[in-house]
Amino acid sequence: MTRDPIIAARGLTRRYGRRIGVDDIDLDVSAGALFGFLGPNGAGKTTFIRLVLGFLRPSEGSVRVLGHDAWGGGARVKRDVGYLPGDLRLYPWMTAAGALAIAGGVRGLDLREAGRELAERFELETTVRVRAMSRGMRQKVGLILALAHRPRLLILDEPTSGLDPIMQDRLAQVLRERAAEGATVFFSSHTLSEVEQLCDSVAIVRRGRIVASESLRDLRRRARRSVTIDFKDAATAAAATPPAFLSVERRHAATWRASLIGETAQLVQWVATQPVVDLILSPPDLESLFRAYYGSGEGVDA
Amino acid sequence: MKGLFVKSMREVWLATTLFAAGLFLVEVLIMMILPQMQADLLDEVWSQLPFVRTMITALLGTEIDGPITTQALQAFAWVHPVVLALVWAHVIILCTRVPAGEIDRGTIDVLLAWPVSRSTVYVVETAVWLGTGLVILTVAVIGNQVGGLATEATHRPPLTRVLLVAVNLACLYVAVGGVALFASALGNRRGRVIAAVFGLVVASFLLNFLAQFWTPARHVAFLGVLEYYQPGGTLMRGEVPVRDWLVLLTVGGVGWIAGAIVFSRRSICTT
Repeated sequence: MTRDPIIAARGLTRRYGRRIGVDDIDLDVSAGALFGFLGPNGAGKTTFIRLVLGFLRPSEGSVRVLGHDAWGGGARVKRDVGYLPGDLRLYPWMTAAGALAIAGGVRGLDLREAGRELAERFELETTVRVRAMSRGMRQKVGLILALAHRPRLLILDEPTSGLDPIMQDRLAQVLRERAAEGATVFFSSHTLSEVEQLCDSVAIVRRGRIVASESLRDLRRRARRSVTIDFKDAATAAAATPPAFLSVERRHAATWRASLIGETAQLVQWVATQPVVDLILSPPDLESLFRAYYGSGEGVDA
Repeated sequence: MKGLFVKSMREVWLATTLFAAGLFLVEVLIMMILPQMQADLLDEVWSQLPFVRTMITALLGTEIDGPITTQALQAFAWVHPVVLALVWAHVIILCTRVPAGEIDRGTIDVLLAWPVSRSTVYVVETAVWLGTGLVILTVAVIGNQVGGLATEATHRPPLTRVLLVAVNLACLYVAVGGVALFASALGNRRGRVIAAVFGLVVASFLLNFLAQFWTPARHVAFLGVLEYYQPGGTLMRGEVPVRDWLVLLTVGGVGWIAGAIVFSRRSICTT
């Protein structure tokens, strides 16, 4: 496994006339990562992916993929890449089996066995023509084409669209297996929950810029948590002074409802010094954090 | 490369078969019908209505000095608008598939995600275009010869002359294809590219026709590709228009190279 990042973008900018697609992006994706690329629609996720695949020429900056320049790398870059487009369009006359035969011919590999196994996992009939397929079936064909040659880098743009929840879980399982084998998964989505469920690190993009890039663990640590504190009685609750890391939103008799802005350990230490009878701490509220990122576009002081 | 070739052939075989069948039928029909037209009767019309002579000259792309002959009539089989329309339609359909056609239907994402360079895609498309072009032109020649059996052997042009006309038509095919590939490399919407290229060849046809009547058109006739496609002279007098072939091949070659450069350097975006 290489020590260099699998994807390394430096000052990557792409303009469409006067409109900005992505703006001055610096981003590293490490080998073996399950990397989530989150952002609202139109944030620049697909533009970034097209730059990574060499479909678009950067206006400024560069991006290297598997050690090659994405724009000048040609076929070399894509040999070890599996890609699922966000708006997948397949040749209408194709069947999954035919598509695998053609992809195998292009790649110089026999993909029939790998394709058959994947088709079984995704419960896909391989002899149906694309023109007769539902959206979900087409999505499965796209996934099989992206996965069958066991690429070192998987780039999946909104891969769960059109898939039912069972197939979404199955896809997550397959991706975890591939990551465990050393593949890198670049998972673009506008849905936090699926990234949270699957990925170990995440970049958030908004209006073409990366507004956060860190591990999900760090993000969780920084996310607000709802806290409910029950004091011994209303008098002690009224007398208590909240610490800086606790933002009290409502006081009612002996109960505080607050948000924790900081480490849980600080809270536990402080509570231990107070006449408290109960403490309820919710899981990290990543949704609020992401909404805050989406809304402001700048760093969020969570 | 094999997979790409299979994919492209899978997409064009039906259209090529239909165009080949169409060309075969048209050539057979024209060649069977022409001998039934009485040359002496045509000569009479010719002398009474001089504009008919001009129109026939315009269609054949060559001056007919003496009386009309069976061989001159047979040149119609190579300049008939249906024949030209079938050949042009085939070449334009083939040469606008990549990248304009692929971008238009959104499949370029799948195509370019495979480990193939754009130049490889372009070369494979070119091979498929030229290969299928060779097929339809060969079938046209066969249809011409089959239909020609209705004519007395002594009135048929020698096969070598027919083959020279076919070479000229192949050069025309290459010229239109090169221009279409270039237009396709620039475009994102196949319909617009097809309309633009078809507009160019129709304009070329009209220019070539008008040049026979109208002096200003004659001055710019060299801009139209049909100026370099004159089967009448080849069939009647055995002319070998090497200069015309070279002009057409140069147009096609320049278009092909320009298309390759644009396609390899342009950004591709389906949305």
